[in-house]
Amino acid sequence: MLSKAKATCQRRKRRAGAFVAALALGAVTPEARADPIRLRADAIADTQSETMSPTGLVVLQGQDRVRPWLDAEGLVWAGAKPDTTGDVLVLALHVREPHGYGDLRVGRFVVATGAVFPVQIDGADAVARTPWGSSLEAFGGAPAVPRFGSRSYDWLAGGRVSQSVASVVTVGASYLQRRDVGDVSNEELGADLAAAPLAWLDLAAKGAYELASPGLADARVSAAVRTGAVRTELFASEQSPGRLLPATSLFSVLGDFPSERAGATIRWRAAPRLDVLLSGAGLWVGDQPGADGWIRSTLRLDDRGEGSVGVEVHSVDVTGARWTGLRLVSARPLGRSFRLSSELELVVPDEPNGRGAAWPWGLMACSWRNRLGWEIAGAVEAASSPEYRYEVNALARVSRTLGSP
Amino acid sequence: MKAWRALALVAPLLLAACAGLLGIRPSDASHPFEHRAHVLKGISCLACHRGISSAGESGPLHLPTDADCRGCHAKPHDERPCSGCHGASYVRGAAELAKEHLRFDHGQHMAAVDGDCVRCHTAVGEARPEALRPKMATCFGCHQHRDQWTLRDCDGCHVDLAAEDTPPESHLVHDGDWIREHGVRAGSERDLCSSCHTERSCAACHGVGTVPALPSKLTFDDVKLYGLHRAGFRARHAEEARADPGLCTTCHSENTCVDCHTASHVSPEGTRRSPHPPGWVTAGAGGGPHGQQARIDPASCAGCHGGAGERLCVGCHRVGGPGGNPHGPGFRSAKNKATDVPCRLCHTGTP
Repeated sequence: MLSKAKATCQRRKRRAGAFVAALALGAVTPEARADPIRLRADAIADTQSETMSPTGLVVLQGQDRVRPWLDAEGLVWAGAKPDTTGDVLVLALHVREPHGYGDLRVGRFVVATGAVFPVQIDGADAVARTPWGSSLEAFGGAPAVPRFGSRSYDWLAGGRVSQSVASVVTVGASYLQRRDVGDVSNEELGADLAAAPLAWLDLAAKGAYELASPGLADARVSAAVRTGAVRTELFASEQSPGRLLPATSLFSVLGDFPSERAGATIRWRAAPRLDVLLSGAGLWVGDQPGADGWIRSTLRLDDRGEGSVGVEVHSVDVTGARWTGLRLVSARPLGRSFRLSSELELVVPDEPNGRGAAWPWGLMACSWRNRLGWEIAGAVEAASSPEYRYEVNALARVSRTLGSP
Repeated sequence: MKAWRALALVAPLLLAACAGLLGIRPSDASHPFEHRAHVLKGISCLACHRGISSAGESGPLHLPTDADCRGCHAKPHDERPCSGCHGASYVRGAAELAKEHLRFDHGQHMAAVDGDCVRCHTAVGEARPEALRPKMATCFGCHQHRDQWTLRDCDGCHVDLAAEDTPPESHLVHDGDWIREHGVRAGSERDLCSSCHTERSCAACHGVGTVPALPSKLTFDDVKLYGLHRAGFRARHAEEARADPGLCTTCHSENTCVDCHTASHVSPEGTRRSPHPPGWVTAGAGGGPHGQQARIDPASCAGCHGGAGERLCVGCHRVGGPGGNPHGPGFRSAKNKATDVPCRLCHTGTP
């Protein structure tokens, strides 16, 4: 009896060993790759007006689909701005059930699902889906700390359930609990909705209720109507800034004023190459009403949009933040490899308070790229701001891309 | 009245002059191919698109050659290549992109539609079709892809959506003020977003410690009108933050402000300059404008005063202290004021 059990055990071990070996071989066999690895490296240098010394930044990003069901992605940077430092922005492994019934992400990534406020974590996120439109998501981990900082004992966990009906409506409910040194810093209950009941109408809404400091933390509604060349979006939002802070912060107990905003954005394709965008909103900040409005127009200089000119006029009228601004941008290819870009902004504050009557800012850039994926760009930036009467900076970038961007 | 007449005369002239620039008049000489005329003559699609009925996922596009045209048009009106004028370049471009990015086998579909190409390519009957490539909804007309749509299983047709980098034509168009709008749209459809966008699309803005790697910082030569931090944002960032309390917290951690302010010596610790106006904190009732502003955007206070600043507040606002009760009207909390952080800092004086 014992020898039979031992033989069975050895068979199982052999099978398991063969399975692992097959898996490992499959993973490294070159023809198993669905797509080539995609890499991009950027090295940037600029001068800072404070010290007039050059500072640098190197960014590496890569992505590889090892199998149709397995891919990995990373984005890391290192720089001297203001001190020599670096960070890992993304380092994630994504495993996917081949037919889409489930997903698993592990590593460092941003969790943003349903009404959950986006948060970057070191952890895992799993989603299970059914063909009848239900899905269940669970995530957990430790909130990411910038610059490899030390971590106090904190973690978060949460999840979302959702149901789609006939690919027209999706409704979801979410929950998040975050702890900071053992204390509850956020406990959020959320609901979300997306609907496209008609080909020309899109609706979306989400809202989060904070349980730690009972009250609405964040609510947003958007309705968009498309009719020919015009798209009109009506929107409204309410945010309670104090409830967006961890409840362990002293500033979360002040009993804040909700910040409210409601308005409309209209996009009009006035001509095949000319877009006009108009947006206006009424605000309620603190106990004061205000308004925010802008008009923006972009003219593409060719059918592919490689060259363009744009203009924007923006005006904000909120207590303590009244200003009017004008922006001009232009980009023009010079031959096949070169591109010339320029940008100009002039902001006139209504209440300068000794910070200067106008804040101009301008940039002139030239870039070159070739078919091998090399790109070199340089720019000169000049400005006058509340901080500095004048400043001139130089920027340079060298990039190399392998595979698709 | 004269001015109106002059305007009525000048406006059409100006529009005509700018028609090419605005894209109203096509810049190249080509025009959509006369599919409709050929269809009405009863010419089979296969007469020109030879071999398409057995075409697989790869291989040539099976567009007609000059020789195919001259098979019927024995005496062409021009010696130049026919496709130079007959057939819009963007239609050919779309066909090339489709061949590259989609898994589609014409051979398998011909039998299913009884050789009736128009069943999918419905636009060939139009005088000036925008595109001849069938829209995704046409595929869904026959194929019950509802499961794949629900499960976000796009790989059956799309080779690699992320690499395709083609904005959808008929759905999910990122239009209008998308930076503001994307949050509410992505709430319910996060996995739909991830069918094209990678992790770094979210992390570039929503990750902690992202500032040096912001896309607009990296691609300073790619000038755009949209974007939260374009142009001279640093000069007006205080105004922007005041106009939309809580917006900064959407992406930035509480340390972002203090990191930058300390580096540029605009902080109480730096002692060179203070971001607060004179009279920010005063003795007596009200205590100056700092209380009102703290309620409008407590997140911006926490941006610099998250650590030592909390103790700074406690100095005046402790129970029995000169600062009085900092809680606003209607304040509620589920916390225990004797034991939980931050209540105990003021109520019991325990750090």
